[in-house]
Amino acid sequence: MTNDAVTARLHPLTALTAAACTAVITTAAASWPLSIAVALAAAVLAVRSGAARQVLAAAAVILVPLWLSLLVLHGLFFPEGHTVLAQWGPARVTAEGLGFALEVGTRTTACVLVLLLFSFTVSVPDLLAALAARNIPPQFGFVVASTLTLLPAVARRLDRIRQAQETRGMVVRGGLLARLGALRLQMVPLVLALMDDASSRAQALEARGFASPGPRSSYRDVADPPLQRRLRVAALVLTAAAVTARIVASWPAGGTA
Amino acid sequence: MTAVVGTALRARLDAFTFHGENTPALCDVAVSVLPGSLTAVLGGSGSGKSTLGKLLAGWLRAGHAGQLRGSLELGATRLNFRGLPEDPRINPAEWSRRVAFVPQDAAAMLSTVRATVAEELAFGLENRAVPREDMFRAVERTAARTGLTGLLDRDPATLSGGELRRLAVACAVIAEPDILILDEPLASLDAAGAEQIRDLVRSLCGAGSSAGTGNPAGTATGVVLLSQAADTLAREAAHWTVLDGGTVTAAGAPAQLIGSAELERAGVLGAAAVRGHGPVPAIALRPAVYPPPSSGPAPLELRGVGFSYGLDRRRWGAPRYRGHRLREQAVRRVLQNLDLTVRPGEIIAVTGPNGAGKSTLLRHINGLLRPSEGDVRVCGRSIAGVPVGTVAASVGLLFQHPRDQLFERTVLREAAFGLRQHFGKAEAEYRARAALAAVGFTTADEAVHPAELSASQQRLLALATVLAREPAVLALDEPTVGLDRRGLERLDRAVSAAAARGTAVVLVTHDLAYARATAHRVLELDGGTLRDV
Repeated sequence: MTNDAVTARLHPLTALTAAACTAVITTAAASWPLSIAVALAAAVLAVRSGAARQVLAAAAVILVPLWLSLLVLHGLFFPEGHTVLAQWGPARVTAEGLGFALEVGTRTTACVLVLLLFSFTVSVPDLLAALAARNIPPQFGFVVASTLTLLPAVARRLDRIRQAQETRGMVVRGGLLARLGALRLQMVPLVLALMDDASSRAQALEARGFASPGPRSSYRDVADPPLQRRLRVAALVLTAAAVTARIVASWPAGGTA
Repeated sequence: MTAVVGTALRARLDAFTFHGENTPALCDVAVSVLPGSLTAVLGGSGSGKSTLGKLLAGWLRAGHAGQLRGSLELGATRLNFRGLPEDPRINPAEWSRRVAFVPQDAAAMLSTVRATVAEELAFGLENRAVPREDMFRAVERTAARTGLTGLLDRDPATLSGGELRRLAVACAVIAEPDILILDEPLASLDAAGAEQIRDLVRSLCGAGSSAGTGNPAGTATGVVLLSQAADTLAREAAHWTVLDGGTVTAAGAPAQLIGSAELERAGVLGAAAVRGHGPVPAIALRPAVYPPPSSGPAPLELRGVGFSYGLDRRRWGAPRYRGHRLREQAVRRVLQNLDLTVRPGEIIAVTGPNGAGKSTLLRHINGLLRPSEGDVRVCGRSIAGVPVGTVAASVGLLFQHPRDQLFERTVLREAAFGLRQHFGKAEAEYRARAALAAVGFTTADEAVHPAELSASQQRLLALATVLAREPAVLALDEPTVGLDRRGLERLDRAVSAAAARGTAVVLVTHDLAYARATAHRVLELDGGTLRDV
């Protein structure tokens, strides 16, 4: 009755643990070569799982503004910078500033890529079933699922609105500015349409007992092999160790500073 | 014949007023549903049918959604409402287990977070902690009753309109409710899909009496049909209630009410004539009364057009539930070496079953979809490489779902969108108002939000947005769906006026009778090409 194919895959909680632990360890390690290695590994996995386009597109939306702001803020105005590489008035490009920007930028890039990789490759129904099996309130699971599927839903809705507008004579040209201009026209309809969807869906969900308190059962059975359970525990222990090591290592430095 | 057991539903609604409104949406409505019976509530678009259905089923709750005075009686339970804070509260989950509702928009019934049809069916059972083994049995049984057995492993997002409707009904039926309320269950279904729903309704009603088709509990479901057409299914009902302007204007046996002035006034389709399946057009069968198409250069030509889904993934229609699944799907050929020439003033109707590619064909006419082979020519020029927004000056496309077409804040802004850059402010508003008037909107409607309109009015508004541009080619996707009798008359007038101006009209419909009554030529889309019917 259950999906045999599912058993061959990674349990969603294993994937979640792996992603979260990788993000935490990368942050704790604070080493840009490690961050770059993690980011590259996430990118390779994204390509291999076929989700490269979505992961990289979403990552670009988050990371491009972040990198720009990091470079402007720390690259030009880093107060503790001594090695001045170039100077224009109050703006000084310092080696320390660039180093700091690189450090923070690669670390955030690695975390963002790892978490996006998880969110675009996880089977949402499996994740919901896994959460429900652990007595996590289904409403929480629904919020998680809706968040994970929100981006595609918004993209579909935007596509429909754009088609309706084009059909009525709006010409969308290729340029970035023109696209942004078109997007501006689509925002109000988008929000209204999403709210309308949500309110009609809420009635159906209530009628089907979704908001009722009390125990639940699950139709979908997600296999959780013992090996994966042990793997999750190991990952959590390793992460705790990495965080502890980091705190211990930086404690005296923090004290003397 | 086993005895029919079950629970009756009696409702007496003196008045129901939505919060923030002054006039009641429903007034003096009494409905009584017996177990194992089919009851039809008939009324035009905006008559209050859906509000009534949602109130009966607990989707709209007294105190929560609006103020209710009246009573609801389900079996031995009687709830009295006086429009006061101390009124009883309905628990929607508990109430819906016994009185289930299937909305007009079947997709709104689905949870959207379940991966397969089987899991979607089980969603309501999961929420009631039904043991797993029982769920398997219930899913299997319900799927068999609703013809979903072969679809249990499918992703609900990939179902056709007819399959989706059956799934929505199945999601309601699986809880074995005493009463099932169906809101326009046959809208936009093809002949085969409509027949399946009719069979299902018959089996639900007759569950206690006919062996083999009934549910194992032996209880018969009372079914309430909300419809704006006195069609085949409605005619099988034991009792009719006619709803007009939120109040009951007539009630009784179908034989007494058929052809009555009340039914006529309510805008119900097929109020008099006996017709075939599905929505019944108001226009009786007749040869096309439109002026014959004139000769002259053809406004629309399709030459050797071919199209497959899967090749052009960025565009509409390709299922995209989880991006990576697409790769596993084989490329599906929808259009193949398709030729079509439409002369000025000519009305072409394209029919075919759900999923034949009719909407896909229409989307090629204004460039929303681009052919993989062949060419689309509008007013003598190929539209290859021309932006959709530019083609829109010559082609007006009415979408299958009006909600996909409407995005503005008011009715007037909706009709005027995109006109201003072509005609200037004053001329744009003049044209928008004229188009609105042509489909029956008054100046009082101009400030209304399109989402607040009834389904019929939404489609007419969408039509007005298309007509306001006076395009050379008019492409209409299922224009009759959701229209009541008045709406159909307005559609008919608008189409004939456009054809008289020399507009080439292509309309897609699953209703062959309507196609025959309206078009100069009726074509069937079959195997990717068009052939005369």
